[in-house]
Amino acid sequence: MATAPGVATPEEYVGDTLAREQTSLWADAWRRLRRNRLALVSTFILLLLVVVAIVSAFWTPFPIWRQSVGPTYDPPSLHHLLGTDQRGRDIFSRLMVGAQVSLQVGVGTQIIVAALGITVGLLAGYFRGWLDGIISTIINIFYGIPDLLVALILVLLLGRGLDKIIFAIAVTRWMDMARLVRGQTFALREREFVEAARASGTRPNKILSRHILPNALGPIIVQATFGVPQAILFEAFLSFLGLGVQPPTPSWGAMAADGFHALRIAPHIVLVPAIALSLTLMAFNFLGDGLRDALDPRQKR
Amino acid sequence: MLSRRALIYLGERLVLVAFTAVAVSSIVFLGVHQLPGNAFLSDRRIDPVALQAIMHHYHLDLSLFDQYKLFVSGILRGDLGESLVNRGIPITPLLLREATVSLEVGAAALIFTIGLGMVLGVIAAIKQNSWIDYLATATSVVGYSMPNFVIATVLVLIFAVYLYNWSGGAIYYEIGWNGTYGTLGQISIPAFALGFPYASIVARLTRASMLEVLRQDYIRTAKAKGLSDRIVIIRHALRNALIPVVTILGPLTIGIITGSVVIENVFGIPGLGKEFVQSILSRDYNIVIGVFTFYALAIGLANLLVDFLYTAIDPRIRY
Repeated sequence: MATAPGVATPEEYVGDTLAREQTSLWADAWRRLRRNRLALVSTFILLLLVVVAIVSAFWTPFPIWRQSVGPTYDPPSLHHLLGTDQRGRDIFSRLMVGAQVSLQVGVGTQIIVAALGITVGLLAGYFRGWLDGIISTIINIFYGIPDLLVALILVLLLGRGLDKIIFAIAVTRWMDMARLVRGQTFALREREFVEAARASGTRPNKILSRHILPNALGPIIVQATFGVPQAILFEAFLSFLGLGVQPPTPSWGAMAADGFHALRIAPHIVLVPAIALSLTLMAFNFLGDGLRDALDPRQKR
Repeated sequence: MLSRRALIYLGERLVLVAFTAVAVSSIVFLGVHQLPGNAFLSDRRIDPVALQAIMHHYHLDLSLFDQYKLFVSGILRGDLGESLVNRGIPITPLLLREATVSLEVGAAALIFTIGLGMVLGVIAAIKQNSWIDYLATATSVVGYSMPNFVIATVLVLIFAVYLYNWSGGAIYYEIGWNGTYGTLGQISIPAFALGFPYASIVARLTRASMLEVLRQDYIRTAKAKGLSDRIVIIRHALRNALIPVVTILGPLTIGIITGSVVIENVFGIPGLGKEFVQSILSRDYNIVIGVFTFYALAIGLANLLVDFLYTAIDPRIRY
């Protein structure tokens, strides 16, 4: 190891390994990820989910808005694969479109969170001083508020569109990303290559975008992967309480809430979206675990 | 006993908690007053004169600034105003009663969370890489990935539906409480649903920090001088492994508060969370503001408690 003791971060071991094996970080990570069976199964489930979401935009077995395409509260059968709900709508079709909603919320919020969190984190970590003081204080204040309830109030204030829900969730969940990027930047800015760039007169914005950000990309991707299920959970929570996306848009949370009163006679109405939701969240969490181990094997717990 | 310095610190923190509560409720107050319409406008039968009288009674005819002044002076006296929907019902006593119900369930959930989480975590750490470890780890990922309303629904299905059918209606869990306070049986199932996802987080954290601590030299020393495994683990390892667990008690409290909003609605518990959702749906904004004030106070006090717990567990930390 070339660096002085005490500055060594887990990332350096990745660098060390790479020097020996002569592969890129990403190829190496992919090799490690492939060996993780849980993460592979999760990736498969998530790919399937994406395919379902795309297909549902063009085709569903039954029109999702139409009521009474079958008897109400019908259990799963060959005609209606996952049964029908209290209005006689086909649950399978609604579940497919629900995947669209969940993925949009999950990925949409993480795009906003990444944009906001990375910018704020880079600035705080690199320039430190009063800027870092202000940003850290804001982050701590946000950690002290009940995020879901604030998101709930925001949706109430802004309206119940999908874009507004995405915004509300992102506003209450950007701190993890900002704190992570800040910490990474803090460590990276002391490294020799950054010092060299600074000494050769590189401007701060170029140092941040070309030298620091690419080196922090691994943990950022892991964080974003863990952020997706959180956001999906938020949306499901809001919809379950009847304060999420406007009905009759099929959101998994709303579908579960719809069937709750009929739990005794038709448990499938609740269980189907609940299982879909749990599987999706689990897949994202396992993938996040796998990515963390793959991109940063030293951190393996 | 608390030293003079600790008392001053406590005083400062309490002032800060109160200030935060006022700030949070002010933000919600101002936000909510930007919303179009109010609880009365949906009431079509109301005649204009009566509406005027009601608006006057709730100070809704004043300017926003004057309303805000009245609101702040009220909140400083502990008066959160009157409900807009159930006219004339003062909010503070109502919410105080509901807060005790929520506290009862929340405290049960917290005890369950920490108890189960730590036991699972310690077992997983001691038997590292055994099947118990894998089971505990898998349980914690499952717990973490299941939304609490899903857990709640499954529990309702098992205890209120299947148990009822199986026992012919002899034993089952009845949804909804008759009195204000629940019995132990009534509390346990909602508390489980509320605490389970967080128990898995505590388990993960305890396992990681236990593994870290068990590798330390002083653990080897303790074992070398002939102490039994049980004493080494409980007295030497666990106490130090607790520090990271205490760190998440703050976020944990917030999680249990937000979780209770769902759980109380699913189980029909007459607490703050149920009131919160009902008041939003019926646009009783005075209660929405009131509940938020209560939550801000609860979170502030919980964080304060956590900071004092730190010093109790780790004597190196001072104020």
